[in-house]
Amino acid sequence: MIKVPELKSQYIWAVLLVVYLFTAIQPIGAPFQMSDATIKAHDVIESLPPKSIVAMGGSGVFAFDLESSAAQIAAIIQMARKGLRLVAVPLGTEAVQFEKYCIDAALVDKKFGGPWTYGVDYVVLPYLAGGSAALVSFLTSVRSQVSTDVKGTPIDQLPIMNDFRSYKDIALWTCPHRDFPIIARYVTGERGIPSIAFAQAAAYSLYAVYMMIYPDKIWMTNGFLGGAQYEDLEGISGLGHAAIDSYAIISAVVIAFIVLGNIRLLSTLGDEKEEVKEEKV
Amino acid sequence: MISTDPWVWVSAFMTICSFTLLYGDNILFRIGEYTYTCTVVAHSVVTGIPTITNYFYPLFTGAKPLMIFPLILGIMSIFVVWRKYAWIASFPYALFIGVGTGLTLRALVMTDILGNAQTTIKEAANILVGSPADQLGFAVRVIFTISATIYLFFTLFHKGPLSKPVGYIRTFGKYAFIIYLGISVGNGIMQQSGLATSAINRLIRQWLGL
Repeated sequence: MIKVPELKSQYIWAVLLVVYLFTAIQPIGAPFQMSDATIKAHDVIESLPPKSIVAMGGSGVFAFDLESSAAQIAAIIQMARKGLRLVAVPLGTEAVQFEKYCIDAALVDKKFGGPWTYGVDYVVLPYLAGGSAALVSFLTSVRSQVSTDVKGTPIDQLPIMNDFRSYKDIALWTCPHRDFPIIARYVTGERGIPSIAFAQAAAYSLYAVYMMIYPDKIWMTNGFLGGAQYEDLEGISGLGHAAIDSYAIISAVVIAFIVLGNIRLLSTLGDEKEEVKEEKV
Repeated sequence: MISTDPWVWVSAFMTICSFTLLYGDNILFRIGEYTYTCTVVAHSVVTGIPTITNYFYPLFTGAKPLMIFPLILGIMSIFVVWRKYAWIASFPYALFIGVGTGLTLRALVMTDILGNAQTTIKEAANILVGSPADQLGFAVRVIFTISATIYLFFTLFHKGPLSKPVGYIRTFGKYAFIIYLGISVGNGIMQQSGLATSAINRLIRQWLGL
C-alpha cells in the first residue's frame, strides 16, 4: 500500500501562506455566483425613499470584522448615492471605532468628495452600555440613552437627530457585527423594523435561521463572498473582491488536505491493527 | 512603494508577530498577544469614559435628576472588588441580571422558539409546492428540524414499544447535527481564510506598497 507522508501542521500552513501570498500579489479574478439573499438586501436599500434613516449598530467585533465590513462599506456607498441618512449605534466598546471605520472607508463624507455631511446626513453615537436593556430603552426613546454624539456634541445641535427620536423613525437596521440575535429579537421581532446582517461566514450558518423566521424582514450576506456580491451589485471592487481569489483557491487546497489527511489516517489504521496483533502474540 | 507611516509599520509588525505562531509559541507571538490584550483593555477604558460623561451629563445639568439612581447602583457595583463589602454589589447585579433575563426571555420565546416552530410548520406546507429544488430544500429543513428536536428530547432514552422507530429518528437527528457542525466548520474556515487574506493584503499593499 502507498504510504502517505505525515501531514505536519507547519507544512499545511506553509502551503496556505504561499497560496495567500500568490493570490494577493497576482489576483486571478476567480468567478463567484450571485446569491438571492444579497440581491434582496441590496434591493431593500434601493427601495428606501431619500432621507430615510438607516441605523447601523450592534456588538461583537471579531478581529475588526473586515469580513462583514466588505458588504457594509458597499451598502454605505449605496445609501449615500440614494440620499439616505445613517445613524451609527455602537452597542459594544469596539463597535464605536469599527463603525466609524466603515463610514470613513466608504469615502462618503464631503471631505473625501462624497455627498454626506457629518451631523446632517450621518452621525456616530457613543457606546451604549447595557446590552439588550440599553437597546430596548434606546429604541423606545433615543434621548433617554443618548445626550451627545461620540465627539461630545449635544444631539440637539445635530440636525439628523431632530428627526430621530424613537424606533418609529428607523426605516432599516444594518448590523455588521457578530451579535445579530439581539437585533433580530428586539429590532425586527418585537418592533417590526426590517434588518440586514452583514454577517461573518461563521456567523452566517448560525443566524441564517432568522431569515427563515422573518423572510420579508431579515436579509443576510455571507462573509467576504457576500461582500464581493454586494460590491458587484453596487459596481465597485473592494475588500470582498480582494478576498475572493484566496477563498476559491484555499477552499480547493483545504479539501485536498482533508482528503490527504483521511488517506493518511486510513493507511495508518492497518499498521495499528498489525501492531495490536503483534502485541497479543 | 514601502509605507512611511509609523502606524502602518506597527500594524505590520503586529501582524507578523501573530503569524509567527504558525511556527510555534515564541517571544514575538507573546509580544503581539500581550500588546493586543493591553490595547483592548485600554480601548475599553478610553471608550468607557465618554460613555459615563454621555450618560450622566443630564444629571449634572439637572435635566434628568432620576439618573442619580443608576449612578448610585454603578458605584455600589464597584464594591465587588472588596471581599468584606462585596455584598453591596449584589444589589445592582441582581437588578442587572433580573432585567436582562426578563427582556431576553420575552424576546427569545417570541422569535427563537415560537418563530422557529411557526416557520417549520409553514415550511412543511411548502414541501408540495414550487420547483423540485425548493421542495427538496423545504423537506430537508423540516425533516432535519423534527429529527434533531427528537434527538434532543430523547437524549435520555427510555425503552418501550416505540423505542425502535424513535431510535432510528434519533440516529437520523444525530446525523442532522453532524451535518450542521460540518457546515459550521466550513463557514468557520471561510472566515479564518478571509481574515488571513485581509491581513496579508494589508501587509503587501499598505506596508510594502506592492
